[in-house]
Amino acid sequence: MCLRMMEMSAAGQGSWWKRSILPVLSAGLFFSSAAPARAAGTVQRVEKQFNVTGRPVVVIHNVANGRIEVKSWKNAQVDVVGTQSSNKIGFEIEQVGDRIDVTAIVLEPTAQPLELEADLQLTVPEETELQLKTETGLIYVEQVVGDMKLESYAGDVHLKEVSGYIIVKTTSGSLVCTQCAGKLDFSSIGGNAQILQPQLNNVNLMTTTGNVLFDGDFVRTGLYSMKSGKGLVEVRFSSTDSFDLKAQTATGVVDNQAVAFLKPDSHGVKHIASKWTHGLFGTVGQGLAKVELSSYSGTIRIMKRD
Amino acid sequence: MQCKDVELVLEQEGLEPLPKEARAHLAECRDCRNYIADLTSLVDAAKKLPPEITPPDRVWISLRAQLEEEGIIRTPADVIPVEPVSWWQSVSAFFSNRVLATAMVGILIAAAAVFQIRSDRTTRVEPPAQSAAVRPVIAPAKKPVTEPNVAPPTVPQPSGEFDRTARDLNDQEPVATGMILTSTSPIDASLRDNLKKVNEFIAECEKHLKEQPQDELTREYLSAAYQQKAELLSAMIERGRSIN
Repeated sequence: MCLRMMEMSAAGQGSWWKRSILPVLSAGLFFSSAAPARAAGTVQRVEKQFNVTGRPVVVIHNVANGRIEVKSWKNAQVDVVGTQSSNKIGFEIEQVGDRIDVTAIVLEPTAQPLELEADLQLTVPEETELQLKTETGLIYVEQVVGDMKLESYAGDVHLKEVSGYIIVKTTSGSLVCTQCAGKLDFSSIGGNAQILQPQLNNVNLMTTTGNVLFDGDFVRTGLYSMKSGKGLVEVRFSSTDSFDLKAQTATGVVDNQAVAFLKPDSHGVKHIASKWTHGLFGTVGQGLAKVELSSYSGTIRIMKRD
Repeated sequence: MQCKDVELVLEQEGLEPLPKEARAHLAECRDCRNYIADLTSLVDAAKKLPPEITPPDRVWISLRAQLEEEGIIRTPADVIPVEPVSWWQSVSAFFSNRVLATAMVGILIAAAAVFQIRSDRTTRVEPPAQSAAVRPVIAPAKKPVTEPNVAPPTVPQPSGEFDRTARDLNDQEPVATGMILTSTSPIDASLRDNLKKVNEFIAECEKHLKEQPQDELTREYLSAAYQQKAELLSAMIERGRSIN
């Protein structure tokens, strides 16, 4: 009995040891093994400020994985903050007049992807032109007025309250454009496009396999073209909108959930869908804007917002 | 030996074989190595350009006739003496910048593909019922121009409309994918994945066009997909060069 108790006690002590000490030791070992890696990949920060006189042009080329964030302020200055995960990557920042170039360069070609992370945070005057190119990270632009070209392979692009001629090109990254104004061109293979509460008067959206959502008002006299090869094209309009609609799909479906609002074309031109496509033509209000939706095999959905 | 000496050697003797002094300099100088790598890639890419990119003779004949008619050029054209500049100096001056050379390779490939797509679209044979209606719209030249190379209209081959484009891009595909084959980068994985998507979409559109050859909407999507494929391959090559 005693022996049994002792055995139990020893076993109990053993399991306590396993439960309490082992995790602590393991954690210690883990952190001690991680320490050199962290030391090798020390986060470094670079900050520079540039005075500008007019409307600056900011060019960023981020070959690393990382986020580019651009916000605006009232100052006539461009502030650039770069953070990098290791010394295997570096920034080249230069100013020529009102042009500021920022390039993230790989210093060690054999570096691992985790060592090639570089984020850029810019604060620019409200009126600034942008040309940003990145590979995987998010591009975020907020409250900037000016023409901009934003390119990304796999990173998403989020725009908020920007206006100008906006060109967005991605391979698989998606676009979310909230309260944007001006003209927007978006092209992608696999990326989605979400246009929310826009004040855009010229829109061209094209994606091969992604989805398109336009939720907002159509500016009178505006031109809107939205295409998706295999994805969903969805438009949500309000009852006060005024536009002509042409929706066509080769093998997909046109899902008209706004039958009550979509009237036959009132301009005297009788539209007939090609016999090889499924089409829908109609007018909302006076038909002042022009909206063209198309898909190859995806669904086109037209609906009125609540 | 200095960088400019290497340029001189290249100008006089071409890319290879380089003399011992030049090779010794290359071993030390990264810029020159990159410069030579760019030139080599450029020459390789140029060799792979499809021969069809040269417009047919009749285009030049028509163009010349039109320009003569408008008095913009005269025949025989005046020969303007030009200071002899070696072809190498011109190429070297233009491509002295690595970025330019890199961009040029991409642009050449994309341009070739776009030209091919447009060329395919413009040479597409209309169905018999429409050809008669369309032909008179083409303004006849005031001065008759002989078109010895104009081939008689052929029977439309609906599925073969983009054949040349497809063939050229398919030729480029193994080169482009091969350049990033060993890369484990998420970008390259994404490029490969998107190329697969585009290829699937192209196959789907091609199949549909075989069944519905007059479906313009599908043709538009197919044309756009080929352009996307050309851009993807160009991006792969550009990335492959930066990796290697």
